Amino acid sequence: MKIVVTVKLVPDTNSEKRIDPGTKRLVRTGVETVINPFDEYAIEAALQLKEKLGGDTTVTILTMGPETSKEILRKALAMGADDAVIVSDPALEASDVAVTGYVLSQALKKNGFDLVICGGLAEDGNTGGVSGALAEYLGVPGLTNAAKIEVEEGKLRVVRETDSGHQTVSAPLPAVMMVTMGVGEPRYASLKGIMGAKKKTIAVWPVAELALDRPIGTDGAKTELLTIAKPPERGKGQIVVAEDGPSGAKIIFDFLKERKLV
Amino acid sequence: MQHVITFVEHKGGQTRKVTFELATEARKLADALGGKAHAVVVGAGAQALAETLKGYPLDVIHVNEDPDVDRYLLDPAIDYLETVAKSVGPAVILIPNTLQGRDIAGRIAARLGAGLTSDVTGIALEGGKIGSISPKLGGTSITTCAFKPADYGVTTVRPNSFPAEAGGSGAEIVTVEKPAAKTYLMLIESESEEVSGELGLEEAPVVVAGGRGLGGPEPFETLLKPLADTLGGTVGASRAAADAGWVPYSLQIGQTGKTISPNLYIAVGISGAIQHKVGMRTSGTIVAINKDGSVPIGDFADLLVVGDAFQIVPELTKQLRATVHA
Repeated sequence: MKIVVTVKLVPDTNSEKRIDPGTKRLVRTGVETVINPFDEYAIEAALQLKEKLGGDTTVTILTMGPETSKEILRKALAMGADDAVIVSDPALEASDVAVTGYVLSQALKKNGFDLVICGGLAEDGNTGGVSGALAEYLGVPGLTNAAKIEVEEGKLRVVRETDSGHQTVSAPLPAVMMVTMGVGEPRYASLKGIMGAKKKTIAVWPVAELALDRPIGTDGAKTELLTIAKPPERGKGQIVVAEDGPSGAKIIFDFLKERKLV
Repeated sequence: MQHVITFVEHKGGQTRKVTFELATEARKLADALGGKAHAVVVGAGAQALAETLKGYPLDVIHVNEDPDVDRYLLDPAIDYLETVAKSVGPAVILIPNTLQGRDIAGRIAARLGAGLTSDVTGIALEGGKIGSISPKLGGTSITTCAFKPADYGVTTVRPNSFPAEAGGSGAEIVTVEKPAAKTYLMLIESESEEVSGELGLEEAPVVVAGGRGLGGPEPFETLLKPLADTLGGTVGASRAAADAGWVPYSLQIGQTGKTISPNLYIAVGISGAIQHKVGMRTSGTIVAINKDGSVPIGDFADLLVVGDAFQIVPELTKQLRATVHA
């Protein structure tokens, strides 16, 4: 089975310093570019399926971005994905969700797929619209918010999270599936995985290699950014030490009353 | 884009406050654009809900109780929305920014070739353009995005962003024809309701959230839930609490969880690291209870009470109950 995971590369908003278990080095965060944290769960889901299904199941990582994204994609390969494709072209700059969905769908057609796995929301744009756009453009079922996944005999069965509980939904393959964090924590790359990743293929496809028949980049975008501003920073409020339960409760109660919240 | 269509989320005719917020905003936007305000309500219970919606300032409510809507995932509902959009003509489509709403928005936008703006907290008309205001990059930037000229635009709206105001002279309820025969493939085999009757985290006006400081799953039930219930809100959690398995991930607020804007956010035993902050920084008022006075949440909470949450919260619940019942 051919599994393709679509990922987005986003600025890291995680300011906590952490140690990379592979290199044992401090990961210097800040304005670093990373795989969208939600998409790591999609990679994890794909790798779990690969382990379960075995045989000739492959996992390909697909992204749209600059060629320099290669080094970031190595992480996904080190986790266990087989290869990666970057659709990279200056003409793609300033693409919105409509263009991204369209370009990725054309890349998926070129690559071939039985199952496309997407993460939930992107950390930066927070649109969450790409998996739906892929289902539309590819004309296949689009399952969303999948937490538990089974594949058997060409059929996908997922337990999905809803706004009020869970649903079990089945659909035939090929399909697009967006997953939640319920699939389980993304694995860390092993040292062997990191070494092995260096030999794996990362293909770079310019848009000329895709059969595109719609405008892309700014011309294809259906939305335009008018303004971007900093939100007013929340000021530091009061900090009050409570002597005991009742006095702490009274401080909060009075505060809520003053703000007309009770 | 001239008209406004709002997609109504519901379960068997039961809906949430955001439906009325969107109905109200649809009217205002339609008036500004010189068009009409429509709503689409499909699935079991649609007719009864449409009657309720007549109390809001809409022009036309399109209904169909087609059982396929509840039998198959997303597809039938999207087909109905598409049918209405095409019959109404150029329009902005407003959809709640919930799990289901985001799914529908992504699909309908692609199908109609429409632009998609998401998690919108305000809409402003600027020089003939419809500007969608939305916090991005974890709330660290506020963007205004406009639709480029096209027949349709799709916007997902963050609950609690607009007021819900009843009014109007009673919309016309019409039946929308079932879209031409299609084979639906995503079969809903079974369904369980775990938070039935309660407000979703993203829509609740008050959220009482717990973190590592609570030490286990029980305080979420015994400590936080009574307080949330008293305030008409719901319970949330930090990632630490979800990771520990104390609460389901669906309750997690923050970077890899939900982004919410309740009127009041009460953080109990949550330190307020940046990953948590980005999910709740746009809340109206933030109150924190923590035994440590130097936690990061003190830098942006409106009030941090340093003390023992296990003593304070039950007392607070008691005091609030006494007021409510007075």
